[in-house]
Amino acid sequence: MSAAPPDNDVLWARGIVKSHHGTPALRGVSIGIRVGEVLAITGPRGSGKSTLLGCLSALLPVDEGEVWFNSAPVHTLGRAGRERLRRDRFGFVGSEPHLVPELTARENVALPLLLAGAGHKAAYAAAAEWLERLDVADCAPRRPAELIQSQRQRIAVARALAPLPPVVFADDPTAPLHREAQEQVLRILASAARSHQLTLVLATHDPELARYADRTVAMVDGRLAAPVAPVVRGASAVSAGR
Amino acid sequence: MLYLRLARGYRVADLGRWLLTATAAALVAGFLLRALGRALSQPAGGSLVRLLWCLPPLAAVAWFAAVAARAVPAGRPERITGLTAAGAGPTRIRALIAGEIALACTLGSLLTLLLFLVLRNNIADASLAPELGMGVPLPPAAPVTLLALVPLVAGLSAAAAVPVSEALPGGDSPAAGASFGALRLAVPAGLVLVGLALELYGLRPGAAEDGRPIRLPAGLGSTSPAALIGWALAALGLALLTAPLLSWTGQLLALGRPAPLRLLAGRGLTAEAGRLGTPLAVFTLTLAVLLTAIRYWVDKPGTAETLPAVEGALIVGCVVGAVITRITEVRNAHRGVTAALIQLGTAPRLLFGAALLRTAAAGTTLLLTGGLTAALAAGALN
Repeated sequence: MSAAPPDNDVLWARGIVKSHHGTPALRGVSIGIRVGEVLAITGPRGSGKSTLLGCLSALLPVDEGEVWFNSAPVHTLGRAGRERLRRDRFGFVGSEPHLVPELTARENVALPLLLAGAGHKAAYAAAAEWLERLDVADCAPRRPAELIQSQRQRIAVARALAPLPPVVFADDPTAPLHREAQEQVLRILASAARSHQLTLVLATHDPELARYADRTVAMVDGRLAAPVAPVVRGASAVSAGR
Repeated sequence: MLYLRLARGYRVADLGRWLLTATAAALVAGFLLRALGRALSQPAGGSLVRLLWCLPPLAAVAWFAAVAARAVPAGRPERITGLTAAGAGPTRIRALIAGEIALACTLGSLLTLLLFLVLRNNIADASLAPELGMGVPLPPAAPVTLLALVPLVAGLSAAAAVPVSEALPGGDSPAAGASFGALRLAVPAGLVLVGLALELYGLRPGAAEDGRPIRLPAGLGSTSPAALIGWALAALGLALLTAPLLSWTGQLLALGRPAPLRLLAGRGLTAEAGRLGTPLAVFTLTLAVLLTAIRYWVDKPGTAETLPAVEGALIVGCVVGAVITRITEVRNAHRGVTAALIQLGTAPRLLFGAALLRTAAAGTTLLLTGGLTAALAAGALN
């Protein structure tokens, strides 16, 4: 086993290799993500962004390599351990809202808090607050099927932010949105990260949207390319390939 | 040819659908050929009644075919996407799914026809001679016409049931949690009340003088018109009420300040009540009728008849198959949401618990409606 990761990195990965049923997705990615940082991962479709986010967010087990969260190994955790980590420490927004169709918007946002064992009142209060912040307070009592896609996506963002997890992963969260809504959602994600000291890992195929990030790394064919943007807030260990 | 290539990608669920369809079709074909055989050997009378007795199993096969065809696109979305990308339109997809079911029915019917022809060649016992029409020349058009009926009916009902708008990629999925209108509730409730009143009238203390002029089939004795019509109305009303009752059960389950387990179980039941209600209502009604009949046969030995019992078993098989198919369809349609819940860190144990709780609550409701149906049927029989 290698040396323990640097203390100031909330997430740290070394040499991750991952393939989906034989199709290689990640071929040796090493990355360090600092506490409170907004990191953008850019790259074309199929470059491995989503798989990298899946591996970092403890959704997918890695084939090879190491992932550390707060100086604790993630790659050695079993399924139950990874579930607990996702539930208690991570938030996730995908490119599709994937709301539970039979629950109202308010219940959808409160669900992660309820799952983590929060009280009924606290969970619903947090849900109402985040729906308000994302401009969808009037959708609270309605079901996803009655809403339009951009409203659903904002609710998905509220669901990821409401428990205030230390790390929020956003996998192309603006894909179903129009330009103005994209700006708003990203602004809210970035400002929530800054004001609550959350770490935000943002994957996007649109290099322009990466301007909300403190640091940008690019991915090509399952590997990290050289850093494309100047490092704004301190440097982190980013190495390309193996 | 394309169809045969597609069949190579079959899985257990597809094979199960195939086997159940083929077996049920073979049995229905057997009933039809038996009616033909009797008509050949005894042209005098009763052949129309015997033919009409083949309708319930035929309807059961058609019902299963419709439910199975409806579930195919949700079960293998990638296959439908692939077919669409290859240029197959909604009509072609509909034809493929219906054709598959018709093919299974044809296979089952042909096997039965083969058996029928072999047995007719003086192989069967003499006691079977009147059933097979032995010794009487067989007009070739008769069995062909009868046996074409099974694939035709099953195929058509399957074709009518394939949801084209949902089948196509990007199509609208049905809105979850469809609510029930006032008329949708008032009519079945009225039927139940009128049926109950009629049956009670038919069973009043002085009813013995009215006599029991209606002779029931399958050795079930006789009954009075008031009791029979009352039971039929109440059973229909209860069947129609099943979906709203399931929806209310779900709401009751998620009442107050539910924890995630109760919330997911209750809301899930409410949302799926519309889709699950119909097959479950048919299942409950069938089971109630069959169990009442079996109880009557056991109470009065010597009244049981083989053929109605076999028909009953076939109908129950098709109805259970339809329920399982619909549950699988609902689970498949929920696949994306389950993945999202897992991503949120929901323990699979919680999802399993919610499914278990939902099943228990739905089972209780069905026990109530089915129990009432069975009790009323028993009342009408005795």
